[in-house]
Amino acid sequence: MKLLVVEDDAETAAYVARGLREQGHVVDVAGDGRDGLFHAAEGGYDVLVVDRMLPRLDGLGLLRALRAAGVRTPVLMLTALGEVDARVEGIEAGADDYLGKPFAFAELAARVGALGRRPPLVEGATTTLRLADLEMDLLRREVRRAGRVIDLQPREFRLLEYLLRHAGEVVTRTMLLEQVWEYHFDPQTSVVETHISRLRGKIDRGFDSELLHTVRGAGYSLRAPGGGH
Amino acid sequence: MRAPRNAPAAPLLRSAAFRLGALQALLFALTALVLFAVTWWAVRGYAEGQLRNAITDEAGEMAALAPATIAGEIARQTAATPQGPFYYAYYDADGRLRSGDLPVPVPAPGWAALQVRTLARDHDGHTEVLALSQRLGNGGTLVVGRDRRSADALNDLLQGAFLWAGAAAVLLALLGGALAARSYVARMQTVAASAARIVAGDLGARVPRSGRGDEFDLLAEALNAMLARIQSLMEGMRQVSNDIAHDLRTPLAHLRQRLEAAAREADSVDAFRGAIERALADVDGVLATFAALLRIAQIESRQRRAGFATVDLSALLNTLTEDYRPVLEDLGRRFDVAIAPGLRTHGDRALLTQLLVNLIENALRHTPAGTPIALRLEAGPRAAVMSVADAGPGIPPPERARVLGRFVRLDAARSTPGSGLGLALVAAVADLHGIALTFEDNHPGLRVRLDFPGEDAA
Repeated sequence: MKLLVVEDDAETAAYVARGLREQGHVVDVAGDGRDGLFHAAEGGYDVLVVDRMLPRLDGLGLLRALRAAGVRTPVLMLTALGEVDARVEGIEAGADDYLGKPFAFAELAARVGALGRRPPLVEGATTTLRLADLEMDLLRREVRRAGRVIDLQPREFRLLEYLLRHAGEVVTRTMLLEQVWEYHFDPQTSVVETHISRLRGKIDRGFDSELLHTVRGAGYSLRAPGGGH
Repeated sequence: MRAPRNAPAAPLLRSAAFRLGALQALLFALTALVLFAVTWWAVRGYAEGQLRNAITDEAGEMAALAPATIAGEIARQTAATPQGPFYYAYYDADGRLRSGDLPVPVPAPGWAALQVRTLARDHDGHTEVLALSQRLGNGGTLVVGRDRRSADALNDLLQGAFLWAGAAAVLLALLGGALAARSYVARMQTVAASAARIVAGDLGARVPRSGRGDEFDLLAEALNAMLARIQSLMEGMRQVSNDIAHDLRTPLAHLRQRLEAAAREADSVDAFRGAIERALADVDGVLATFAALLRIAQIESRQRRAGFATVDLSALLNTLTEDYRPVLEDLGRRFDVAIAPGLRTHGDRALLTQLLVNLIENALRHTPAGTPIALRLEAGPRAAVMSVADAGPGIPPPERARVLGRFVRLDAARSTPGSGLGLALVAAVADLHGIALTFEDNHPGLRVRLDFPGEDAA
């Protein structure tokens, strides 16, 4: 993917850019908000990573200007630690996701990946999600694997739906907490781990191939056997 | 002897109350002046009328006498009362003065004001006489006058009375102004003195109340409420700084020791990698603590009820229970849940979720493995009462208020993981929502009771 990182702290910018390049992305870096806006408006990026605090034009201003100009490139906004209302402000200005600093690189990489491979916004047509022999009927709220109906709790259904929509990608524990549970804090107990393990027991146990994988140090990934990563 | 610039004696004259008093005095003086003018005008008109009536009557009586007897009658009258009040003059047809004590040339018929030299008294021997001159049938002229002594005396009396009354009113107004000013200045000085004590560092200083419930007491109450809030915020700040110093220094010191040991002792890539991973975990722990602290501070300073909406507590708890039931089952604990349907409150859904999660996790963390946890939601005196109860060691009554503070960990819990910020966050969220939070004895164990306000709670 072609990515633009708008970040004024040179060390952070270099760290992020190097990591993303190692994953095979093409990364441009802009050091302030106006530069960032200029580049973002110019040229065909798949995802923008924008710091909230920027010289010359701050991240929210950049985002508003970009959205006002009709540029719909997905944006991951980076915010300082502990800003409770930063997420809401960022989303209102047009950000697609946000991440508080400091972050683990795996978290950033997973979120950039999720944004870049977003399905087109015309979602109304999709009523069935499918991966290998796993099938989710969104209308009838029914899940089958190899033709066998699998009984899921409501939260397990939402979890699997999210994983299916991001099949092949790595999703982190925090992403799941935010997107599936709508918890914008970090619970100390293993809510995610417990649900993942139960879901795995239902969709993988007793079948000949595993779909739900744990990615060490990063999160989870739902992928077709032999799909590889 | 001039008072020094900052002497507290000076403010009396500069006081707003005194200025008001002085203005009032001026107003009183003006009022007295206007009253005087109007009264004087009316009294003067009345006195003049009376004077003219008296002269007309006297002149009529004189004119009614036989012409030959007029001169004699006038002589008799002037001899009897040489100093007035009536003055007379009678001229014959040739204009010669035949009799009388008005030594003037023959006046034209009608009214006239004459200056008459008198022997007796009055201002430099002159007195003003109002006179009526009339032609008689025999061609003679009769002049009857009367001095203005009585009218002047009335005027003098009036002038005097108004002068004294006006002066008294002005003096009283000034005195009242001064008294009010003195009391205002004194009350203000107590406020200023309290402010000065606070500026000097005594944050506990408060503005004293007189107990009369007047506007100064209202001001004092408002100021004291503000001061109490400032003091609690300041203490919060100080507390946080101390907490950070105490509780973050330890993990950072450990981190440093570990890194130093790794630099010195690690002899393989794996050993280094292990040390780095442990260091990362340490740093993440410190960052989590920071984030929690900042979050609590932000919740505490948040504008009350901003972004609040109606929250279906029953639904929220049902969802939460479904999410946590598997966690408890995996831990081999029983989760006894009783949730009454349809209970609502007013609040921030995300914060309430975190409050409930923290309470459940707190119960999990501080009770021995296998201890059941009970969650109950029912209609309460305000809107709803929720309780999270466990059969663990509980919190001894004297410690119950303390555990809501930041970084507080009871000795028994020192060895358990956690930042010590969970209940502080619960307290902050409860305070923001007006939820009454109490710790009760569950016989055995702890029961945390939350009394939620209703949807329309103020």
